[in-house]
Amino acid sequence: MAIENVVETDVLVIGGSIAGCFAAIKAREQGLDVTIVDKAYAGKSGAGFAAGMGYMVFNPEWGLDLDACMKAINIKGEYINNREWTEIVFRDSWARYQDLLSWGAEFPVEEDTLLVKDFLPFGVVRIKRRKITPLLRSQTVKSGIKIIDRVMVNDLLKQDGKVVGAIGFPMDSEELYIFKAKATVLSAGYNSFKPAGAEICSLTGDGEAMAYRVGAEITCKEFPDVGNYGMNPYPAWRGGRGSRACFRYYTDAYGQEVKTHHQYESDLTLEFAMHAGRGPILWDIDSATPEEVDRMRKRMQHSDALESERIGFDPGHGGKFLQAGGGAAGAPNAQTAGVWPVNTKCATSIPGLYVAGECCGTRYLGAYHPAPGFGLTGSSVTGSRAGLGAAEYAQQAEEPVIGDKELSVLKRITYAPMEHKGGFSPRWVTQVLQNTMIPYFVLHIKHEKRLQAVLTVIEFLRDHLVPKLIARDNHELRLAHETKNMVLNAEMILRCSLLRTESRGQHYREDYPRRDDPAWLAWVKLRDEQGQMKLEKVPIPREWWPDLSQPYEERYPKRFPGE
Amino acid sequence: MTIERIDPELCNGCGICVNSCPVDVIRMDKESQKAVIKYPEECMCCDYCELDCPQDAIYVSPERYVPHMVAW
Repeated sequence: MAIENVVETDVLVIGGSIAGCFAAIKAREQGLDVTIVDKAYAGKSGAGFAAGMGYMVFNPEWGLDLDACMKAINIKGEYINNREWTEIVFRDSWARYQDLLSWGAEFPVEEDTLLVKDFLPFGVVRIKRRKITPLLRSQTVKSGIKIIDRVMVNDLLKQDGKVVGAIGFPMDSEELYIFKAKATVLSAGYNSFKPAGAEICSLTGDGEAMAYRVGAEITCKEFPDVGNYGMNPYPAWRGGRGSRACFRYYTDAYGQEVKTHHQYESDLTLEFAMHAGRGPILWDIDSATPEEVDRMRKRMQHSDALESERIGFDPGHGGKFLQAGGGAAGAPNAQTAGVWPVNTKCATSIPGLYVAGECCGTRYLGAYHPAPGFGLTGSSVTGSRAGLGAAEYAQQAEEPVIGDKELSVLKRITYAPMEHKGGFSPRWVTQVLQNTMIPYFVLHIKHEKRLQAVLTVIEFLRDHLVPKLIARDNHELRLAHETKNMVLNAEMILRCSLLRTESRGQHYREDYPRRDDPAWLAWVKLRDEQGQMKLEKVPIPREWWPDLSQPYEERYPKRFPGE
Repeated sequence: MTIERIDPELCNGCGICVNSCPVDVIRMDKESQKAVIKYPEECMCCDYCELDCPQDAIYVSPERYVPHMVAW
């Protein structure tokens, strides 16, 4: 058996992204002993910087208006945003922005850096990964937070109904890590299915999966993220490391324009065109105005797009670039999906467990991601709140006690793939999972029959392949646990998608192409009940309903095909 | 293809690239004390290692390990 490292701490933060760093720093400011554990490197890791190029800040002095911001999110989120959280994120964003400034961050707030202000009522400032990540790291170190890098936490420890720590293993040695904590913040959320070529392969939904296994509630997995890639033949330019939220001129194979709503929106327009047999869809730079080309070039320089240079991509030269669907395939709508927080301190239904970042299903953006910059801000806000919430809980919590029986069960689960001499490699199972889930007609253009068929395959993966995953070393052990977590996330996505028998925002059902008000002015919430995934529908508060006397076409400016 | 090379002449063994990689592609070679490409099949071309390398010792090719397939 492996050497055991027992780490005792007041607040354990799993995942050292922007959310995890905020949580740890805020908990530490309360005078508690805090530990961050990350499967890569705390400060640099996480979903935010895979995608992030903007940071949403609400500041009235920049001419921003809270009512206008709220209204825009309500309409774009198609009325199922949690308005309490929408307002919290707007209001807290200024303080989090100030935190980042006080840690040494630089944001150029000039006219052209308020990225979306021309189109939407929000203020989004530019953020640069290479400038922000070292600051997050140094601030956590400076605060006296213990950091454990390159250790993957695979499960939470639960004792007497409470989360009291976690179990994990390192990449570089054979030791086992047992974390005993009075409170735990999970900030290891967001899943994709490691799609080949997307810069988001570390996002395997470990947080949601771990939370689910201890009985926490998960919400809103049915809304897919819609990130696409310019391909020529490789991703030509990653607007924000992988989104098409950069440009609006598309033409189809017949030379017809494919109209998107505006340049920052990544809706399902391209998938609809693809589905109708109008592909290939080309990203048509020749149609851009000189100002737009200039803006695009600036943003390219900003987003460290080495690859674009390498394939000779220069917007100034114009041209048409191939666009491929389903780039961020598998990722649910940022900040909407995740573990259901039971209060505004980011507590969950399981005592001792707090959630932050993409792991925290605040639903503050509802059914649609409105613009770049909302992910990093939402993650800073929930990170900060979860850190404070966990600190408050830890201050009155008893010393965590972990029973031998519980521990030995989890140890067996942790090392099971190492015990299997024969079975299935995590790489192969992941590839099967990708081929099953990623096609546009599964996650983006949905239909009951296809969802059911894919669910049957995923259940088979879950029941037959996952229990027989093999790992020869700790690197493969990480892959095995990630694969298991991704399969579980896939099941959540499919079941939520099946239950929501309507279309709304980024969730489109070919067999139910209209919004169904008021029946679906509701969220889907799921949890484990004796080994079964149980789903329920939670109505949104009536005061958040849209005006139902308003004609449907005005309530919902966007049309779905077939409605 | 993906991370293509880490130049052993330029690599000073600082290990920054190992920590920059979100998916554990790069490891330190115990004998040479230099960074080596251990699992190229998992590289996602995020370029973080190349961008963060103080020695400019790394080159990441835009080609993917598993080539892209498009629908037409």
